[in-house]
Amino acid sequence: MSLFLASLGFGLVTAAVLAIAAVGFTMQFAVTDVLNLAYGAVMIASAFVAYSLNQAGVNVWIGMLAAAAAGAAGSVLLNQGIYTPFQRRGSAPVTMVIVSLGMTLIIEFGLQAIVGGTSVSYTMSQGPTVKAGGLVLTTVQLVIIGLSVVVMAGVHGLLRYSKLGKAMRATAANRSLARNCGIRTDRVVTLTWALTGALCGVAGTVFAINNGSFGATSADLFLVVILAAVFLGGPGQAYGAMAGALIIGLATEISAAYINPSYKDVVAFLALLITMAFRPGGVLGATA
Amino acid sequence: MSNAQLFYVINLLIYAGVDIIACLGLSQQFGVAGVTNFGFIIFQAAGAYTAAILSLPGQSANGGFQSYIGGWNLPFPVPWIGAMIVGGLVALPFTFLVGRRLRGDFAAVGLLITAVMANLLVTNYRPLLNGSAGLSLVPAPLQGKYNPQSQGYQWLYAALTLVLAAAVFLLVQRVTESPYGRSLRAMRDNDLVADSLGKNLLSLRAAMLVLGGMLAALSGAILVGFINLWAPSAWGYAETIVLFAAVIIGGAGSHRGAVLGAILVPVGFEEATRYIPQFGPPGLVQDLQWVAIGLLIVVFLWFRPQGVLPERRRRVGVGGPQVKPVEMPNEDVVTLAGSPWTPGPADAPSHDGVVESGAGRPISRSARSAASPDASPVLRTVGVTRDFGGVHAVADVSIEVRRGTLTGLIGPNGAGKSTLLAMLAGTIAVTSGQVIYQGADVTGVPAYRRARLGLVRTFQLASEFKRLTVMENLLSAVPANRGDTLAGALRGRRYWRRDEEAAIARARELLDRFGLSGYADTYAGDLSGGQRRLTEIMRALMAEPSLLLLDEPMAGVHPRLARQIGTQLLGLCAEGMTILMVEHELAIMDEFCDPVIVMAEGTVLATGTMAALRARTEVVEAYLVG
Repeated sequence: MSLFLASLGFGLVTAAVLAIAAVGFTMQFAVTDVLNLAYGAVMIASAFVAYSLNQAGVNVWIGMLAAAAAGAAGSVLLNQGIYTPFQRRGSAPVTMVIVSLGMTLIIEFGLQAIVGGTSVSYTMSQGPTVKAGGLVLTTVQLVIIGLSVVVMAGVHGLLRYSKLGKAMRATAANRSLARNCGIRTDRVVTLTWALTGALCGVAGTVFAINNGSFGATSADLFLVVILAAVFLGGPGQAYGAMAGALIIGLATEISAAYINPSYKDVVAFLALLITMAFRPGGVLGATA
Repeated sequence: MSNAQLFYVINLLIYAGVDIIACLGLSQQFGVAGVTNFGFIIFQAAGAYTAAILSLPGQSANGGFQSYIGGWNLPFPVPWIGAMIVGGLVALPFTFLVGRRLRGDFAAVGLLITAVMANLLVTNYRPLLNGSAGLSLVPAPLQGKYNPQSQGYQWLYAALTLVLAAAVFLLVQRVTESPYGRSLRAMRDNDLVADSLGKNLLSLRAAMLVLGGMLAALSGAILVGFINLWAPSAWGYAETIVLFAAVIIGGAGSHRGAVLGAILVPVGFEEATRYIPQFGPPGLVQDLQWVAIGLLIVVFLWFRPQGVLPERRRRVGVGGPQVKPVEMPNEDVVTLAGSPWTPGPADAPSHDGVVESGAGRPISRSARSAASPDASPVLRTVGVTRDFGGVHAVADVSIEVRRGTLTGLIGPNGAGKSTLLAMLAGTIAVTSGQVIYQGADVTGVPAYRRARLGLVRTFQLASEFKRLTVMENLLSAVPANRGDTLAGALRGRRYWRRDEEAAIARARELLDRFGLSGYADTYAGDLSGGQRRLTEIMRALMAEPSLLLLDEPMAGVHPRLARQIGTQLLGLCAEGMTILMVEHELAIMDEFCDPVIVMAEGTVLATGTMAALRARTEVVEAYLVG
């Protein structure tokens, strides 16, 4: 039972990290219809921005804000500079995926050329351990969970109650129709990429914190987990991605307690393949 | 040359052969058939591992320092053949990802992730294939009889590799240049349309996965026989991207391009970096190499997406030697008025009273109506309904399309006309209700099989196969060409030449009839809007339909051309075809269609002649105002 509770705690933390990442990924897909496989590379690049500040003596949580800014800038650049021009030309979705894979190589190995192939860690304190109802978590883990809840609430507020959020949903549903209704879709798309880029930067930093150590290629496997959460919730569905993240996060960590932990991502992978094969529109069927 | 230099040259030749075989497999899958297999490297790995465990002795034989399954110690060439079989078998489970339901980019991502996971599993699970350390001491082919270290052996190995590469080139070339290859390219350009023309997408894609998998496996088997070891680090997911870079740079869809790409990227690139002085911290050069691969892909896709050696245009020749129509041995179709697309006698209407049934000549509507007053329905629907998330796009529609008529289908935007048409053709499934075609319930029959039954549709939006010529567009729709199966294609041109010539002759007649003879060798993507519509109609006719479903065939077409199309369609009906046509232009309906079905808000409002419909107020209110 204690094993289960311990893994449940880990699962909640993983789900928290995953939710931030998956919501960003799925919203990018929603407004531009691009499966941005370079998302993981941007995550790690942002995490290294926080790392360089952290090395200079800045608190990692402040570094995270810089990572968010870097993620936002990088994502907007990626979309404006690469994806949008290709889409304007009428490139097929498959071509876009190939382009995003090319960008993954460029960002990931460009980063590795700069920072080297060894793993690094943030300098930070894990804080006192907190026990609650059998769950044992460090303060940092609790902060990550709290942060994720705040971010999800923010996304919910944005999508439901703000004008920008409504414009985003309209753009996601039908871009040309949204434009004809007077929505400045180009601006909405850019803002979405800035926002999701910020989420990507935050996700990269908390992923790096949660992982302990990280290198330029650390997010390769995590991208699989992100995709599993996104597809489980239905690609493009923000609330679906949140639910998917919770399910996948818990499933991978709890299974890790009972099978070889090296295989925990296989659970996510199987969920992804089964979803793709039988319910390509997502299992959870959320509407957002 | 010193021995070291010779060994280097041999090495280079073997690597080139291996990469060429792999790239040709990928070129066939991705370049020709449009199956984006980001897990391609899995198949090379499967081949290498299979060849290894088939040729290795049992795991205890070499001191048990590595553990693996198998170890059957089988003689050459069994390991290579076994590798190809396994490579093909491994492909089968993936066919569910590349079927019709899943978007191409989603399937690609699914395959990419499968590659990542397969590598993870093999790395972490040692008993299967010795985990991350991989297999070593893999026997070279025939190493008991000859000395693999000798130069003669190595030259022979290189020669064998290159011979196999050449054989693979001829094989994929033969497949691609056949009618089957044309179907693959049609699927690549627009899979939904290929489906509606009778192409079984699942079987085409499965065949390509298996063929590509076998070739990748062969390349792996050759490689492992030479380097004698194989480990997970040799087949990271990124290696697939290198092969994709090679095919894209060489020219997707062109096998010559794939050969060039294989020499330029995996071979040339690796070798070039050998001569760059190592600088910076360890690993920097490799990192930059990956960055360069990424840059090559993005830059080429932007500046030269067709590659260095683009796919060549297949010319049939406009003024070339005229091919005489060949009398088919099994032809029992009685052609009327020299028309090559008349359906079989079973579908032919009674022609009593038809005076002017000559092809291409206008026939007055009244004359045609008199032709078959009591014609039986070719198609009818019973309470067909389609919901899209709670919206009834089509609700409880029951219609009849009588034989030999040019039936019109009109209605305001959003009336459900195109949805109804798509359900009739099987492009989308019905939520409830039945579709009865030629007396048989086809509600559950997939689109490609309905097309083969003679129920053929066109699309509202332009749907030509852009990278096929007009002639190829037409030929792609021909049913039952002997060369339109993988087996038929492999038997070579001699086997299917007569079918092809007959099809070309038929296509030429159609091109003449529609006045597009001069465009036979033009890429369909380069035509004007009106010419594309004509090409689509001709292509649908090549499919030998009994019932043709046209979705706004005259949209965006010059009114004069529209009238010509209408006249041609009437001619076809007079020859026995039945046509159901969605159209917005009332003048067209007035002139050509009888009866006309009016739809509004998902239901049928009225059916009758245009004159009768104009007299009904509710119809006029719904649609005919002004």
